[in-house]
Amino acid sequence: MKRSAAARLIRERLDPRDIVVVALGSTRRVWVELEAPQLTYYASDPMGTAPALALGLALARPDRRIVLLEGDGDLAMNLGVLVTIAGAAAANLRIAVFANERYETGGGQPLPSAGRTSFEAIARGSGWPWAAEARDEREAAATLDELLARKDIGLVALHVEAEPSPYPADAGPTSQAEDRAAFQRRLADER
Amino acid sequence: MSVAAQNAERIVAALTRAGVTVAASLPDSWLSDVIDRIDAEGTIRHVRVTREDDGVGICAGAALGGERAVLVCQNAGVLLSANALAGYGLHHQLPFLVLAAYRGSYEDRFYYQMYKGLVTEAVVEGLQLPLHVVEGIEQVGIVEEAMRQAFLARRPAVVLLRRAALLGDGRQAS
Repeated sequence: MKRSAAARLIRERLDPRDIVVVALGSTRRVWVELEAPQLTYYASDPMGTAPALALGLALARPDRRIVLLEGDGDLAMNLGVLVTIAGAAAANLRIAVFANERYETGGGQPLPSAGRTSFEAIARGSGWPWAAEARDEREAAATLDELLARKDIGLVALHVEAEPSPYPADAGPTSQAEDRAAFQRRLADER
Repeated sequence: MSVAAQNAERIVAALTRAGVTVAASLPDSWLSDVIDRIDAEGTIRHVRVTREDDGVGICAGAALGGERAVLVCQNAGVLLSANALAGYGLHHQLPFLVLAAYRGSYEDRFYYQMYKGLVTEAVVEGLQLPLHVVEGIEQVGIVEEAMRQAFLARRPAVVLLRRAALLGDGRQAS
């Protein structure tokens, strides 16, 4: 499954009021390309903390569903956060992991234990009530449907192909702090 | 009620006055009463974390969503979280409070805590974050002021709590 196909399947299924948090790297770049209408926060660095950031946002805004688009490298950096989220009772948080089993932005090096790690099993073993994996678009569509129909936390690992995802030539005209302020203004306007 | 419980009540009252609605914690023996009191506080959503930098991320996310948050941990958690604190403090410019037990200083009797006392203040200063030390419970007002400072400075503020501020002068907790 192409990364862009997985991203499109997510975009087709989101509610207009969903808030999307996007981890750094190739996951960020594919979501930028889709120009989805949902309010989106691009989490950038520090690597390994996007799930915690999304959890904090979910706790602060229980009236909104928070969908984290996560990379497997980012999640593997801090698997303990799955235990934290399982205990946090933030029912409005969902996670879709783009799993290509390598550090795409870092140069395509493999993750440790690439091909043998199951984020579904890790999530379930961490206390998540529901988790799934999808290896093609048909499975992705079905598991994303279930993820978004649920009333509690859930995690789907989407196995995507390893594809080059180069840095953009231009970092863009705004800083992370300016993007953060813009996100907060729109969040306030949407109350 | 023990001195530690009384102090915990005053510290958590300061947090609620500061507007805290989200708290993340990882235990230290000096912080037991504070964490229990936070957990019992109905206006605070309390999350127990597995690593302190999870707590930094949670506090940053809560701030992103418009809430005021605190991470309660030992100063080892401040050291572990250096990258997360710098990232959310300087890159995202998100404000919140870190309340940390100040282990490894003159009043600590455990040799394995000493290295933390030697480096904590220098690390926080290196991170360019506001830093305050609460020497005793009579200085608990610093907690509220530090949260205000965090929002004015748009970055986390770190408050280190001496043993006396948490436990009084007794020598029960290790």
